[in-house]
Amino acid sequence: MKRNNLFKSTSFLRVVLLLSLFVILLIGGFTYRHISNLTNSEEIVVKTYNVNLELEHIVSYLRDAESAHRNYIVTKDRFYVNTYLNAKEKVNRAFLKLEDLVGLNSNQQKNLTVLNKLTDSLYNNFSKTNAFVTDNTTNTETFKTLFFEEKIIMDSIRRQSNAMFDLENKLLNEKQNEYQSDLRFTPLFFYLVLLATLVLIIMAYNKISNDLKKIKAKNDQLLIFEESTNQSEIIGKHGNWVWHIDSNKFIYSDNLYRLLGEEPQSFEANFDNFLKFVHPEDVDKLAEDLDNMIDAEELPFVNYRIVQKNGSIKHLKAYAKSFYSADGQKRLLGNTSDITDEIESFLELEERNLELERNNKELSAFNYAASHDLQEPLRKIQTFISRLEEKESDKFSDPGHQYLDRIKSASARMRLLIDDLLQFSRTNKPDKEFVSADLNELFENAKQDIVEIILEKKAQITSDTLPRAKVIVFQMQQLFLNLLSNSLKYCKKETVPIIEINYSKVKANDDPLLSKAPKSFYHKITFSDNGIGFDQKYAGKIFDLFNRLHNKQEYSGTGIGLSICKKIIDNHQGFIFAKGEINIGSVFTVYLPE
Amino acid sequence: MQTDYIHIILADDDEDDILFFTDAFDELKINTKVNTFKDGEELMDYLNDDQSRMPNVLFLDLNMPKKTGIECLKEIKASHKMSEIAIAIYSTSASEEDIEKTFVLGANIYIKKPGDFKKLKKLLSEVVSINWQYHTNGLNKDNFLLSL
Repeated sequence: MKRNNLFKSTSFLRVVLLLSLFVILLIGGFTYRHISNLTNSEEIVVKTYNVNLELEHIVSYLRDAESAHRNYIVTKDRFYVNTYLNAKEKVNRAFLKLEDLVGLNSNQQKNLTVLNKLTDSLYNNFSKTNAFVTDNTTNTETFKTLFFEEKIIMDSIRRQSNAMFDLENKLLNEKQNEYQSDLRFTPLFFYLVLLATLVLIIMAYNKISNDLKKIKAKNDQLLIFEESTNQSEIIGKHGNWVWHIDSNKFIYSDNLYRLLGEEPQSFEANFDNFLKFVHPEDVDKLAEDLDNMIDAEELPFVNYRIVQKNGSIKHLKAYAKSFYSADGQKRLLGNTSDITDEIESFLELEERNLELERNNKELSAFNYAASHDLQEPLRKIQTFISRLEEKESDKFSDPGHQYLDRIKSASARMRLLIDDLLQFSRTNKPDKEFVSADLNELFENAKQDIVEIILEKKAQITSDTLPRAKVIVFQMQQLFLNLLSNSLKYCKKETVPIIEINYSKVKANDDPLLSKAPKSFYHKITFSDNGIGFDQKYAGKIFDLFNRLHNKQEYSGTGIGLSICKKIIDNHQGFIFAKGEINIGSVFTVYLPE
Repeated sequence: MQTDYIHIILADDDEDDILFFTDAFDELKINTKVNTFKDGEELMDYLNDDQSRMPNVLFLDLNMPKKTGIECLKEIKASHKMSEIAIAIYSTSASEEDIEKTFVLGANIYIKKPGDFKKLKKLLSEVVSINWQYHTNGLNKDNFLLSL
């Protein structure tokens, strides 16, 4: 867009320049013509003047000759004969000049010939009358006729001369008129052309000054951009470079030098100088990558290490893209980043992850082994207690019986804890396989596991039809079992437990509890009971391991069951929430991704 | 040589468990003869001996020194002579892994050692009264673990 404007502006200026050149040439041509017209006109005037002058000379010489001849007739002095003969020579010279001046004008040539003949006939007449003078017969009629003819010829000469004079003046006027009409419009034309040129020049000036302003603004922007690029290179720890492939010249940005641990532009930018910094193990690979760059249009990231002069090793990552200048020269624009921090923190993270994984594994193994190995001595204690009870109970005193009962219930509780812990650690194991399962079936299985308690408490359990879902089968069954057991365990005494299971499919956006859910749709399953409930302020803590809201004399929980539920739901990328009201009941809501 | 008692062998390294086991059979008053071995090697030595009488039911603990229950099970199932012995796994753990593994290897029933002597007696009397032929035909992973 902007480039287009600039392009337009250049072509505009070019047009203005061409027009101006054309105008100047035009003006030059016209001026030349004008001046040459003026010169011609002046020449013609001079010529006309000369023609008139010579004609007057001729007429005057002839007049002198005539008067000399008369004087001869009167005085018979030969001196006068010489005088008019001399005049003839002068007349002849004037004729020669006139012939030159008249040039190719045929009318004047004819006139001149006529004048010449008249002159000749005048001198003939002189000769004829001279004979009468010599014979002294001037009183004769013939002489008088001849003498009178002389006057007539002289008059003709004057007329002829005047005619030539008039013709010459007429020619002069014609020519002058001709030039005049040519020249009349020239000043106006000049003026108009000059005006147009001025307008063009002013427009060009305007355009140029506008363009200059724009270029200046662009330059300012460019400066700002350059500065911000510098800043971002320093902050982002990257530098850029340009490789003019045809001339094999490099340009490195300031920060590229800094990445190498050098002062900006402190050495000549070329590949050999750069290679001095590259880690010896990476030199070959980088050189090869660079060779590939010459042909490729775009290159994947190239990773290599450099060694700064102070010995510290940095990891760099480079990326390049080819770029053609307006004249078709291939250049490679590259960007090199210092990714040392990234790599170091990645390695650290990886290390920590491994450690965490190791710790988790150890913990899980420890948990499993501990609860597993604890079972054995406990089982024996319990078996021995049952032996004692069976075989030796009649030997016990009353307190002895009491102690035995206490031991029994304590060890029973220990067994419960161990079983739950074992269950908890098992939900940690990695061999989780998601399969599509009918949740109704899993729910029935869970119910079957505790059918005795259900019958004993006469609990009423109603359930909506549940969907199929991709789940870890034994874990989902465990979840149902734990939630059911929980409701049965915390039922109100002397009240029939009622447990309701409801199902609906929900959109994550529509459910306030799912505001942070990553999936769009969820299966929502709620377990509502009419049990003793709990204070809502414990709703968050209820899923914590070993967290109990009731003392163990009243209710025999271990504080693990709901933690297992939470863990199972976590494994399924779902959510579980608890809502309670004391003496009204509890609602557990489970969301499973569809 | 046909005899009128049921020959039972228990392989278990735990003396307490051996005591419970033998006591239980004593009290059960079933006509049984119980032999016990303290590790897998002792057991296999006995079974490999041509003179030995093969048991009707072998109770096999999994966690034993020298030779584990799993190793014994593999050897027994590989031997033609012993393949007819009904094998009851008798273990503290009832982990999915162990149950799965022993089922695949061909054990006939899996008993988790109970924490109550009465229950133990009940389990053992159940096991010795099983018609193995019938039981084995209908055996699957769900009824493999014996529960009362």
